[in-house]
Amino acid sequence: MANRSGAAQRPNGQTQGKICQFKLVLLGESAVGKSSLVLRFVKGQFHEYQESTIGAAFLTQTICLDDTTVKFEIWDTAGQERYHSLAPMYYRGAQAAIVVYDITNQDTFGRAKTWVKELQRQASPNIVIALAGNKQDLANKRMVEYEEAQTYADENGLLFMETSAKTAMNVNDIFLAIAKKLPKNEQNAGQTGNNAQGRRLTEGDTGPKTAGNCCK
Amino acid sequence: MPMQRSYKYIMYATKQPSLRINQADLKCKTGCGFYGNADWNGYCSKCYRNQMEQERQKRPRHAQSQPPTHHGESSKAPVPPGFSKFEEKKKQQTDKKSKYLKSLPVFRKASNVKDVGKPEKHVNVRQTNPDADKLMAEFLSKYGHLGDDVRKDFLKCIQLFTTKLLNEMETKPIDELAEMAQKYYNLYNSRINSYSIYTELDGDVRIELEDFFEKYSMVNLYTWLFCPSFTNDEEKDLSIQDRIRKLNWVNAHHLDCCISETSLEVRDLVYAAITDLLGMDSVKAPQEKLQCVVKCCKSVVEVLQHCQGGPVSADEFLPALIFVVLKANPARLKSNILYVTRFCKDSRLMQGEAGYYFTNLCCAVSFIENLTAESLNMPEQDFHAYMSGEVTTVSAWDSALVACEGMHQLCEHLALLKMLKERNIAIQDEKQELMEDMKKLKEHIFVRVSSVLERTPLIIKPRELPLPLTDDFESSTGSLMANVALVTQKMARTNKDKSKLNLDITPCISLPPEDGDNERNKVIQDQLSPFNDTQSLDGLITPEENSILGLSKVNYDIDFSDLSADNSMAEALTPEKKCSPTPSFTPDPFSPVGTSCTITQQPLIPFSVPSQISTVLEPQKFKDEFVIPFLEDFSKEKHEETLLDKVEFTPTSNLPPPLNPIKPEYSGFSRQGFKIPNIPCNTGDLHSLTLEPGTSKQE
Repeated sequence: MANRSGAAQRPNGQTQGKICQFKLVLLGESAVGKSSLVLRFVKGQFHEYQESTIGAAFLTQTICLDDTTVKFEIWDTAGQERYHSLAPMYYRGAQAAIVVYDITNQDTFGRAKTWVKELQRQASPNIVIALAGNKQDLANKRMVEYEEAQTYADENGLLFMETSAKTAMNVNDIFLAIAKKLPKNEQNAGQTGNNAQGRRLTEGDTGPKTAGNCCK
Repeated sequence: MPMQRSYKYIMYATKQPSLRINQADLKCKTGCGFYGNADWNGYCSKCYRNQMEQERQKRPRHAQSQPPTHHGESSKAPVPPGFSKFEEKKKQQTDKKSKYLKSLPVFRKASNVKDVGKPEKHVNVRQTNPDADKLMAEFLSKYGHLGDDVRKDFLKCIQLFTTKLLNEMETKPIDELAEMAQKYYNLYNSRINSYSIYTELDGDVRIELEDFFEKYSMVNLYTWLFCPSFTNDEEKDLSIQDRIRKLNWVNAHHLDCCISETSLEVRDLVYAAITDLLGMDSVKAPQEKLQCVVKCCKSVVEVLQHCQGGPVSADEFLPALIFVVLKANPARLKSNILYVTRFCKDSRLMQGEAGYYFTNLCCAVSFIENLTAESLNMPEQDFHAYMSGEVTTVSAWDSALVACEGMHQLCEHLALLKMLKERNIAIQDEKQELMEDMKKLKEHIFVRVSSVLERTPLIIKPRELPLPLTDDFESSTGSLMANVALVTQKMARTNKDKSKLNLDITPCISLPPEDGDNERNKVIQDQLSPFNDTQSLDGLITPEENSILGLSKVNYDIDFSDLSADNSMAEALTPEKKCSPTPSFTPDPFSPVGTSCTITQQPLIPFSVPSQISTVLEPQKFKDEFVIPFLEDFSKEKHEETLLDKVEFTPTSNLPPPLNPIKPEYSGFSRQGFKIPNIPCNTGDLHSLTLEPGTSKQE
């Protein structure tokens, strides 16, 4: 990944190091609106039946943050309980994760908590985790209180927003917030040591990994 | 430097069907606080690495018992009965191989005396690998322009890498070889980014070169690194294959996957996906294998899109992929996955579309390996019954395959038929068009011919007729008498048959011959039959009074065209009949004038002409012997007559509109008929037609 990013930055010449690529994994029970959220973010669309989009499982989106270009590579995961055990394969090497739940469904919030716990335990330690309470447009059917989720997020150091893929509320904001929180300061260090230390990026679970988190 | 290799994660997931196990079990055995992995004997990656390092130092260099323990078989609690044997066999094989390798001086020397060993080694590798040769040719054609330095350096690195790897192969477990490969990829990467000879190169070209480095070296080493004999990859292949075979009863429904197994189009798409997946085994470079996976996954996405519409999220995608893997049961599936995870550049697997889809494939395989009753949402008993083969179901897929084969053919045939039908319709249309064209052409020709005919008889016929008329004046007087009789008869008829008369007369009035035409007509008529003058004048005066000049000409023309048309139609329709009147007409031109004139009336009179009239008239015109049979036959022949009349008239009605007004014409003609002597040829014709059975025989 180091090689890849190094090359990607090269053509930009002066803007070297301004492009950061992050792998973001989407977790959450099925039917909480993971893919709708991403589609809204990537394509600016919300269609329940959408012809133009072929796959919503893997998408990329680039956003500009100040003078940095942040490229998100979004990996969707299967939310069904039976595929839960496969999740580590997806969030391996991910720099960010959005755990999505449905505010009209208490169970999905419970599952979201499990995901968060698991991510904190198993994913790379510097992973930025965001909690998204989706389907905010159905607030009248709300089953998960905003305060409850906010408190939980605060306790666990998560980004938290209630979103709506349908109305686009907070969709871009949550991605932007993640982009801001992601460590971009090492990009230059990563840039210099990228090639030589390329292999170290995936090293262990500790310190060195942080260095490689950005600009893969 | 311990590293977390991706395939270990895959195995990790494989060995851990559920993460809901005791937290303590997950931790590293050494208690360092990190998570352990069954594949690393319960150590975390770092501790495992240290452990291995220590063991290696203790053991002699080529301790062949190591690799199996590395490869996580220890985690499989019940060792299959045949496994120990297999392991022994494998050990023997590896021993043999290492001995063989050692026996070759090249292999031994290469590690120490690089300069000498390398070229030979390289040649050795290349000789055994036609694919590598092909790649080399590709390299030369693609990057030849980069210069000799680049090429030499590239080849140097490749040689270094391949020899090193081959030398280490006998002593090191596959994990380390994989690490080594990664190390070399990065080495070349740093080299390409720092060496002066590469500085001129474009960023993209550098990436291509790196990729090519990986590709070329892996194609070279494929035989050694793919499913190596010193690993249990083959065992894993067999076990997963067996597993999938046992799971052949699993259908899309079990997986909550919306693939409709019976749909033809879906089936074709699934076939495409399966083909792509199977293709993975036939290519050598890790990149190419990844591409096959990507292709397969895209087909799966297509399948899903076909089945459900809308964007395909991972919730639907993964089950579908699992379904495809189950139905494909690809050969050496595990070997391929392991090979790619080991020797594909890390970045490729961790990121990008290919990485994502490959991860999905790993997940699918892992899911299949750990599939339980729970994961299919079915009772334990049922699951066991299925797995043990107690309950055999005809899977929808299989039956669909059988049924679909027929259906498929049927559909193909239907499609073929449809195509043929379409073509047939097109031909029919063209045929219709052609027919219409021909019809038009026919009409056109008909009109043309009739117009020509209408003009020509006017010129030609007078030339013919005057001779007999002038020569045999006396005989024509007879005909004059007949004409007079006809007129009287006609008058009588007009009284009797008013409705017809109206029809007859009105056209006469609306048929005002133009002045010029009038004169011409007169001249003609004078020429033809001078004795008719009075009547012709009568006929001509009325039109002049009306003086509808424009119309008159048309009607006048049509008047003749009608006749000529009758003539032509008589020719066209009854050529054999035509024969009879002509001889009767030509040899004795005198009598026909009279007879013909009278007879002209008969066909021209509408069908409803009372037979009395004709009976009244006929005796006057014909000799007794002739009339009687005719009269006798007349009632019988009435149908025929009408038929013949129809035959006469229908063609005229076929004429284009301007020439169409039949009634006026024929009635006008009926009036003018006796004025114009040239009509006889027509009337004679009609006469012959109506009286054919009688007259022709008699004449």
